[in-house]
Amino acid sequence: MAMAEPFVTRQQSQFRGPSAKHHLPVSLQTRLREGNRPAWYAGSLLAVLTGLAVFGPALAPHSPLVPAGAAFTPPGHAGFLLGSDSIGRDELSRVLYGIQTSWFSALAVIASGVLLGGLIGLVAGATGGWVDEVLMRFTDAFLALPGPVLAIAVVAALGPSLFHTLIAVGIVWWPFYARIVRGEVRSLAARPHLEAARLSGASRWSIMTRHLLPGALPAIVVTASLDVGNLILALAGLSFLGLGAPAPAPELGAMAARNLSYLLQSWWVPIMPALAIFLLAFASNIAGDFLRDSLRNT
Amino acid sequence: MNPLTFIARRLGAAVVILVILVAAMFTLSHLSHTDPAHAYLGAGASKSAVAAERAKLGLNLPITTQFFHYVGNFLHGNLGVSYRTRNPVTQDLAEYLPATMELAFYALLLALLLGLMLGVASAGHWRGARILKFVMVSGASAPLFLLALLGILIFYGHLGWLPASGRTSMPNPPTGPTGFLTLDALLAGRFNMLINALEHLLMPATVLAIGPAVSIGRVLRGSLVTVLREDYIRTARSKGLRERAVLLRHALRNSVGPALSMTGLQAGLLLAGDVVVEQVFAWPGIGYYAAQSIPVGDFPAISGVTLVLGLGYVLINALVDILQRLADPRVRI
Amino acid sequence: MIMARAMTRHRQPEPLAVLPEYPGGPLSGLATTRGKHPHAPVITDIPASPAPPRPAERVAAVEDLHVTFRRNGRDVQALRGVSLEIAQGEILGLVGESGSGKSVLGLTLLGLHPARTTTIDGKLEVCNQSLVAATPEDWRRLRKTHMGAVFQDPMTSLNPTTRLGRQVSEVAGSSAEAIRLLNAVGIPDAERRLSSYPHELSGGLRQRVMLAMAIAGPPRLIIADEPTTALDVTVQAQILQLLRRLRDDLGMAMLFITHDLGVASQVADRIAVLYGGRLMEIGPAGEILEGPAHPYTDGLLRSRLTLTTGRDRPIASLAGEPPDPTQPPSGCPFSLRCAFVWDRCRDEMPAPTVKPQDTTGSHMVACWRTDDLASSGQELAGKWPAAPSAPGLAVLANNVTKAFTVRKGFRTQKLHALRGVSLEIAPGEVVALVGESGSGKSTLLRAMAGLLTIDSGSIEFGMPGHAQMVFQDAGASLTPWLSVSTLLKERLTRADLSSNERADRVRASLATVGLPAEVASAKPRELSGGQRQRVALARAIAMPPPMLLCDEPTSALDVSLAASILNLIGRLRRELSMAVLFVTHDLAVARMVADRVAVMYLGRIVEIGPVDDVVGNPRHPYTRALLASVPDPGAKLTTARGEPASPLDPPDGCAFEPRCERSGDDCCLCDPTLDLVRPSHTGPARLARKVACLHPIAGVPRIPGGLPTDRHEGDD
Repeated sequence: MAMAEPFVTRQQSQFRGPSAKHHLPVSLQTRLREGNRPAWYAGSLLAVLTGLAVFGPALAPHSPLVPAGAAFTPPGHAGFLLGSDSIGRDELSRVLYGIQTSWFSALAVIASGVLLGGLIGLVAGATGGWVDEVLMRFTDAFLALPGPVLAIAVVAALGPSLFHTLIAVGIVWWPFYARIVRGEVRSLAARPHLEAARLSGASRWSIMTRHLLPGALPAIVVTASLDVGNLILALAGLSFLGLGAPAPAPELGAMAARNLSYLLQSWWVPIMPALAIFLLAFASNIAGDFLRDSLRNT
Repeated sequence: MNPLTFIARRLGAAVVILVILVAAMFTLSHLSHTDPAHAYLGAGASKSAVAAERAKLGLNLPITTQFFHYVGNFLHGNLGVSYRTRNPVTQDLAEYLPATMELAFYALLLALLLGLMLGVASAGHWRGARILKFVMVSGASAPLFLLALLGILIFYGHLGWLPASGRTSMPNPPTGPTGFLTLDALLAGRFNMLINALEHLLMPATVLAIGPAVSIGRVLRGSLVTVLREDYIRTARSKGLRERAVLLRHALRNSVGPALSMTGLQAGLLLAGDVVVEQVFAWPGIGYYAAQSIPVGDFPAISGVTLVLGLGYVLINALVDILQRLADPRVRI
Repeated sequence: MIMARAMTRHRQPEPLAVLPEYPGGPLSGLATTRGKHPHAPVITDIPASPAPPRPAERVAAVEDLHVTFRRNGRDVQALRGVSLEIAQGEILGLVGESGSGKSVLGLTLLGLHPARTTTIDGKLEVCNQSLVAATPEDWRRLRKTHMGAVFQDPMTSLNPTTRLGRQVSEVAGSSAEAIRLLNAVGIPDAERRLSSYPHELSGGLRQRVMLAMAIAGPPRLIIADEPTTALDVTVQAQILQLLRRLRDDLGMAMLFITHDLGVASQVADRIAVLYGGRLMEIGPAGEILEGPAHPYTDGLLRSRLTLTTGRDRPIASLAGEPPDPTQPPSGCPFSLRCAFVWDRCRDEMPAPTVKPQDTTGSHMVACWRTDDLASSGQELAGKWPAAPSAPGLAVLANNVTKAFTVRKGFRTQKLHALRGVSLEIAPGEVVALVGESGSGKSTLLRAMAGLLTIDSGSIEFGMPGHAQMVFQDAGASLTPWLSVSTLLKERLTRADLSSNERADRVRASLATVGLPAEVASAKPRELSGGQRQRVALARAIAMPPPMLLCDEPTSALDVSLAASILNLIGRLRRELSMAVLFVTHDLAVARMVADRVAVMYLGRIVEIGPVDDVVGNPRHPYTRALLASVPDPGAKLTTARGEPASPLDPPDGCAFEPRCERSGDDCCLCDPTLDLVRPSHTGPARLARKVACLHPIAGVPRIPGGLPTDRHEGDD
């Protein structure tokens, strides 16, 4: 592909010589540096929470199930940092165990929602036509049902247990992801870069995995991370209604519910687990916000 | 397609969703871990009595026949008999429903108003916007029962300003005609009663409204920020309109759409939260009824409550959709 | 049909007469005021200013204006010491490429920057009010009483959910006044329009509504930021005429911001050229266009295509791209691209001084080397070699139709994009498809690319290999997260090549389109607009295709970059013997790149033939209207009335009939077919000149540089 002499326009000379590198906009490095800072915060926060959930039980000073002292000891007394409950069990130990359950339950539901919903959304969005129509009608029917209310009925029917709770919430949670992924894929599919890839001779598989999915990924990650907080709250609500693990298990929602009657005498017994849920949800919401900011900048 | 056709279609879709909901309840009743015959007869019932009860309940019929019976019963307002109260579920629901409707109505209203204020306030660039954002994230992260417990602890336990349970503490509350205590008290001219009912409503309604309000506020904030960057906002400013006129006349109108959709979605969360809140505040509504039924596995009661709340949710969302479609000149004929 | 009367000038004199009078004096006085000082000197800091402007004549002035704002954590220095004035009743054309700071200047005069991130230094004065320390409320009052604004995109600039009546009344004060204003800008049936929503209006009508709001008051200064860029050529010509007429009638000053010197030449009294946030040249429009004193202005004018640019050689394009506004050079911003550059240019920015040969003292230029520019002759690139030709056909489209189903509100409608199009292209031949929005030109292109299926007819390719396409928005056509080399290699997956050979191919393709090998590892985001379009071209030719489909590949680019891309396409087609189908709305561009041109209107080809023949001697009234709407400097615009008909509802008979001034009674009844102009045509059939018109314009010998006169063929 040699160039005939008359065709060398002045334009090309720009890239010859030492200044060629200089002409590539420098914004990339700057953007990465600035854009990644919130992502860094988000990652650390999520790592700390996961660490707490993994190592929490190991840090617990007492057994979560066996009484360790006097009942209704206020926080900070007799070695009970968060006080003790109605039969003298250590609130702190129970809360640490509860955090583990809460956190991993939320992650499990999110993961299943992202996988199932993401797959349906991706297939619907990338295929289009009647496949899209059928899959999305199916998804919409699920979305039109009052998910949280339905979840209560599902666990009530299957019988209260943590596993059933996860199934029930999983059933009502995925359509949301199917919608998001499908919407994201559709909007990407409308961009000319997909048509250009098709004309370039890229295969269907390559278009789906290389030209489509990476574009939808950021939105999925952000949505999922912003959703962790919601799920922690939803699961806690079901647990509060007595739909989680049965009695002695240290589940945060159930701990608050079973000690409602002690509120005015020993406020810490129902409040401490509720506060733990709040902190967990708050931290994951902040992490989600950071993650969203990090992607907005790039 | 004219607007009436659209409304008819949207309501038709709502009916389809309800049918799906009924089918889901039927399926769940068969998956239920409690056998109805056992539940009605008690643990000590003989085998033959259980068999007779099963036949009476139609549990031996083919599954499709059972389904049609179920749908037929549903259409006739027959939702079965509660294992716990031994009353027809319909009768129980009729008794508890007005309290829930009143609470949900006020909570939704409050959520909309609060959401509107939060959205507009946090979209601006004033000094408090950051703090407000922090407050909103907190509101979105707080479990309902934490808010309820803190509310009771502070406003009832410490300050003694507000009551902590029930709809009213006055004797002989009015019993009709609307079932809304506030409205009935007003109609009966009993202003003390009205104040008392509002006092009882304030805490549960606020607790219920905070989560949805934050969600609505966040969505409104997002769409307001986007709309405020639109070219027509620049046009409005170039006309020399005051900032308030720009916001109210041009920006808000174009950004309430997503917030309204969010309100519809949040209605689902609000109705589920209603079960929790009614339990904490001993509010005599269907949520309280459901919360009492859960520990004893009273599935007919729970499915009845689910159907009623589902109906409410589907209707609210149909209403939101119709309002939105009619309000947008671009999709009008 | 709505627009039937819209363009008739002074059709509604009454409404204008009752508009409130301009505060400075009666309307009739304006002509004389302007006549005395048509091109008043405007730059304040000149040592020997021949006639200092009187304060009353000055509507706006900026002096040493610096505007900096933060974007993505970096300081963008949009304006770096600009001084100019706008006199009462004058139209100042502010010309610059993207990133020159022209829009920033407009927004700064309106006070519409977000104050948090913008810092403004220097002097700024509008209507004798100093504004550097002005509060938002001061700005608002000023905008309300003395200023108006028109922006680029009339679709997004009007509130979509508010009735027009309300939007106009909001600034007019009353419905009666709103109706008067709408009449004044030539909106037919204004009273009925009050209850319309913006989406119910065509683009041209929307821009008229924007104008109606801008002239409410009336203001002393209107900021018009690219008001015609989003419009079709024929509509653009209408709006340009309207702008001038409004100024003549109402006497307000106008800052007319545009990227196109040709457009500026059509409306402006004076022209200011901005580059890299600095003023390069300012002076009377005629002087700037005929005797540009700055190398940049000169380059802009040369790379701008007109209907008379010589098409036998590459266009004289400016090398390089505008400087990064976050790291502006310390000296002259143009020094990076300037052929006359000296060391001094790189270190020091010259102040604007009077052009040496200028006697009026009103033509100012900021350049150290003006004298050298004046004495240098025009260097021409070598001529293009003859394009290779081969027997056979690259593509044959036969009677292609395509209709889309669109949802409009609650109902669905058929959009007739192609209504029977036949076209054949020989190997190595370039055919341009020209038309306005809704003509179906892009649909035909996409059908040829195989991106959509046609309803009836056929498209056959005569050569092996798949046609490749270059999109208008090159950035959007490149997958953002994949590197350039990944994108290029994708084209080679079918070829039997080793990975080394592939890398070589990638490098060779990049070199062919004039990009350095480093670009291979870059992501599209890191490239500039011109580089992206080159990458798109490199991707298309990585495996040389038999045919290249171009969808307005230069319309999103600045003039100087567009010229270099057109040169590149011109070179590639010759080197690779590709057939090219080139879609454009711009006849001047079509004329440069194509061998033949097909003019489309509402899903049909209405005229086709060798490009010189069609441009020099249009037979179809629509082709002539298109040609007459091209805003070349010095050209007198005359234009078709109305706007392109909607493909949702094609008129009966000839689709152009409602806008055609030659139409006879038979035109609305009989649908003309594409017939030979000269039945005695010899040579290849595809080269024949054809026109679809019942009353075609008579063949008149081409007048060099001019446009043919009007004569009925039947009259002869």
